[in-house]
Amino acid sequence: MSVTVVPAAGASATVRRNFWRGVWRVMRRKPSRMVGAAIVAGFALMGIFGPLLYPDPLPRDTQALYAPPSWRHPFGTDFEGTDVLALVVTGARYVLLTAAVTAVITVVLGTAIGLFSGFKRGRWDSVLMRLTDMKLTIPGLPLLLVLSTIWKFTGAIEMGLVLGLLGWGGVARAVRSQTLSLRERGFIEAARGLGLSTGHIVGRELLPSMAPYIAMNTLIAVTGAVYAQVGLFFLGVLPFEANNWGVMLNLAVFGGGALTTTAALPYLLAPLLAILLLTLGIVLVVDAMDEIFNPRLREE
Amino acid sequence: MAAEQSSEQSSDRSSAPGVRIRGLSVVYRTGAGELPAVSGIDLDLPPGTITGVVGESGSGKSTLALSLLNAVQPPGRIAAGSVEIDGLGDVAALHGDGLRRARGRHIGYVFQAAQNSLNPLKTVGGQLLDLGRSHGMGRSHGPDDLRGLVREARGLLDRMGLDGARVLDSYQHELSGGMRQRVGIMLALVLNARVVVLDEPTTALDMITQATILRIIREVHEERGLTTLVITHDLGVVAEVADNLAVMYGGRLVEQGPTGEVLGDPRHPYTRGLLAAIPRLAGDIGEARALPGRPPTLDSVPADGCVFRERCALRMEVCETGRVPVVSWGSRTAVCHAVQGAREDVKQTVTAGTVTAGTAIADMGEEQA
Amino acid sequence: MITGTGITKTFSRRGGVLGGREVPALRGVDFAIEKGGAASFIGESGCGKTTLGRILAGLESHDSGEITIDGVPMSSLTPRRRQPYFRRVQLVHQDPYSALNPTRTIHQTLSAPLSLRARQMERAGTGRPRSWIGERAEELLSLVGLDPGYVLPRYPHQLSGGMRQRVVIARALTVDPEVLVADEAVSMIDVSLRLGILALLKDLRDRLGVSVLFITHDVATARYIGTDGELYVIYRGQVVERGPVETVISAPVHPYTQALLSAIPVLHGLETPGEQRVVPTEALDASRHDRGCLFAPRCPFRTARCESERPVLGHDGGTPQEHACFHPEARTVVAVPVSHS
Repeated sequence: MSVTVVPAAGASATVRRNFWRGVWRVMRRKPSRMVGAAIVAGFALMGIFGPLLYPDPLPRDTQALYAPPSWRHPFGTDFEGTDVLALVVTGARYVLLTAAVTAVITVVLGTAIGLFSGFKRGRWDSVLMRLTDMKLTIPGLPLLLVLSTIWKFTGAIEMGLVLGLLGWGGVARAVRSQTLSLRERGFIEAARGLGLSTGHIVGRELLPSMAPYIAMNTLIAVTGAVYAQVGLFFLGVLPFEANNWGVMLNLAVFGGGALTTTAALPYLLAPLLAILLLTLGIVLVVDAMDEIFNPRLREE
Repeated sequence: MAAEQSSEQSSDRSSAPGVRIRGLSVVYRTGAGELPAVSGIDLDLPPGTITGVVGESGSGKSTLALSLLNAVQPPGRIAAGSVEIDGLGDVAALHGDGLRRARGRHIGYVFQAAQNSLNPLKTVGGQLLDLGRSHGMGRSHGPDDLRGLVREARGLLDRMGLDGARVLDSYQHELSGGMRQRVGIMLALVLNARVVVLDEPTTALDMITQATILRIIREVHEERGLTTLVITHDLGVVAEVADNLAVMYGGRLVEQGPTGEVLGDPRHPYTRGLLAAIPRLAGDIGEARALPGRPPTLDSVPADGCVFRERCALRMEVCETGRVPVVSWGSRTAVCHAVQGAREDVKQTVTAGTVTAGTAIADMGEEQA
Repeated sequence: MITGTGITKTFSRRGGVLGGREVPALRGVDFAIEKGGAASFIGESGCGKTTLGRILAGLESHDSGEITIDGVPMSSLTPRRRQPYFRRVQLVHQDPYSALNPTRTIHQTLSAPLSLRARQMERAGTGRPRSWIGERAEELLSLVGLDPGYVLPRYPHQLSGGMRQRVVIARALTVDPEVLVADEAVSMIDVSLRLGILALLKDLRDRLGVSVLFITHDVATARYIGTDGELYVIYRGQVVERGPVETVISAPVHPYTQALLSAIPVLHGLETPGEQRVVPTEALDASRHDRGCLFAPRCPFRTARCESERPVLGHDGGTPQEHACFHPEARTVVAVPVSHS
């Protein structure tokens, strides 16, 4: 018997190995996905290592204010003569860190509340969903404006925390409706009938079935957070202490007059291009999520 | 009994169109190239008869039904063969407007799960008018046409034991499964189609409702002089309703003939196995035998040789490769090496003048079982 | 052994301006399932047979009545303490496609309840070695006729419908149940594979002493599970006939049972139809009729008494089986095989 038995650990290891091989297969199916993954990875690296590439503070070339694009300054320079590319690269950390924190909070909170609400139903469901509705009806931007008057968002993490706490409502609603439909499925009923713990049912049976959904929401939350904070800085409601794409936009438009003269145009376009590229990368990767988390589509 | 009923029918029947399917092959494009879902089907639907096609999942029975309407959806396509309908020509060669007119006017189709194929947001009457308009009624022919259509629909529903006026005024959710099925049949017949295809007409219906629907199918068929094709996985349904029976397996027709004869004296090992695997209400229940193996899927159907050999108790070396002989006698056909072998034995016995062909085959049947 | 007395269940359905409508699913159902026995519940969809199965598996609560499992009345226990009892009743779902989690391999699907079982046994002092879970999973798959080496590492979508249904049965067996509730367990399986699944259920009765509660609309399959079993015919939440399978099939006395059996297609050529087939009258909105005998609106034999008074289950008229009819009369409705002489 001992020869024929497949050891439990061995079998699950095979499964896991197959998962990553499957992910690789899914990504390779369309070149656009690889491009998307490369872009997202590029931005992640930029966020982590970008600031290390440049001296702090960034050197200023007072001889070349608003310099046009050149080999030395691919996107020109700003009002102080600082290289725009360097600004974009070093500014990525704040933006991406905020976005990551926001995405994590949105998804963790939204998923947890949605799962709990949909699985428990009854009184808890009503209470949590009324709360969610209330949250969804509060307009985000005006609230942020009000908040910014009493609270200075000095750090990226604080910023992400606030955006995350404001953004989980949609995910919670969506996850709840998914849970409600999944809990009627035969395999969930069987798990209940077998007496498996609620932790197991939620964590091992429900959650994996919703993984593509959650992954998609995470990525979309990242773009949402980028827009939100860049927008806030652009409007100038927040003090700019750190280097940031939104600050760049603000200075380009209100300081450099990028909308009326061409001199500051590269200064304006560089952060916009970065945001556009990041969004594009995420959209391209989202396309693969369904296939990655659905074994049938993955193994095909 | 079905066969008896068919002999005592109305004069209308002579005008029913016949359907001849010749060499029909339908392929589906997959990652592994084009795979045949249906290959080389020859099947006649004699005018005024009900033909039942029986098969399990993957047998190609639904694809065959869709071919009759030339409605095989991509990635599938009719790769070869023809479907000749009297007064219409080769359906497989039709396209565009001509094909759209043929559907409904010549060929009525009751879809699988017709119970759920109604639009939940429109009344039955509303959907009926849509159908009429999409066939050009109410524009060139004047409003009388549509009024006539409604009258015809109400008549059909009344005939099927419903309150026609009330049903036309109802939404899907207000009708029971059996009522919806009847609405489906009405919509297939209301444009005066004389060839009707019913795909799984009774799945998901209760036993008593099923019996009612089958009786209605039979009666409407007789009265309107139709040529009917019933597609099902349930031999019982065919036994109740069909004059002729065709058995499909792995995309091929393996046996066909008059229903009573095929059921009473099945020849193909698959038909025999299928019948033996159905538990019955009387007799020795212990005689029921499961058929080993499982039906092939699109990508596991053997490309060469007999499609059933994997599960066949009579598997021989000749079954592995090449074409399987089509053995015909009387009004029956079986596609099997073993049946052919038995037929040759019979011929020899007949020349020896000892027994008649019929009993000899029956004897051989007992041996096989 | 599991018994039920007077089980009732009413669903309230939301409807229209006039408020909800109460739909009785079970109207005082009594039953008993012996250890290793077989009981079959037959009836049309919506008759309450599925609800009963779900109540027994602990997936649904009932309104009144008492269920006893191994002599313990469930009403005497708190919901938490009831759970281990209901775990002895395992449900085999109708749809093998939704009954298995598509994101989990068969190995994962089986090992979750098995490790739960292992922990229980450890607590009971009959601890098992770590390798037990894997061994037991293989053992169970072999028992249901599957090749463990092939099936264990696979996802449900890689298996055929018949194989999935066997996996579902193996999963139910992980907790060593006493009763398997098979709700239309073969209706979505290919015709040529159905008998294999039925034979497996029958085999489990013999080999493990598991009782089978078989819920179906196909009476012939109920006969295959066990000719020694008990047949319950349910109409609109009421048991209208109850008795040994062969008796009820060959000589049914309730007109509803007769109508149900008469509706089963006859394999002309192989069988001759029963002589006294009963065709029910078709009544619109029969489901709203709540006075007298529930079947009266559709019954071809109804009398004035049937319209006003509701019959109860009993042996009236000296029939071998119990029935709920004022005018019991045994009729031959089932098709018989053509004798080959």
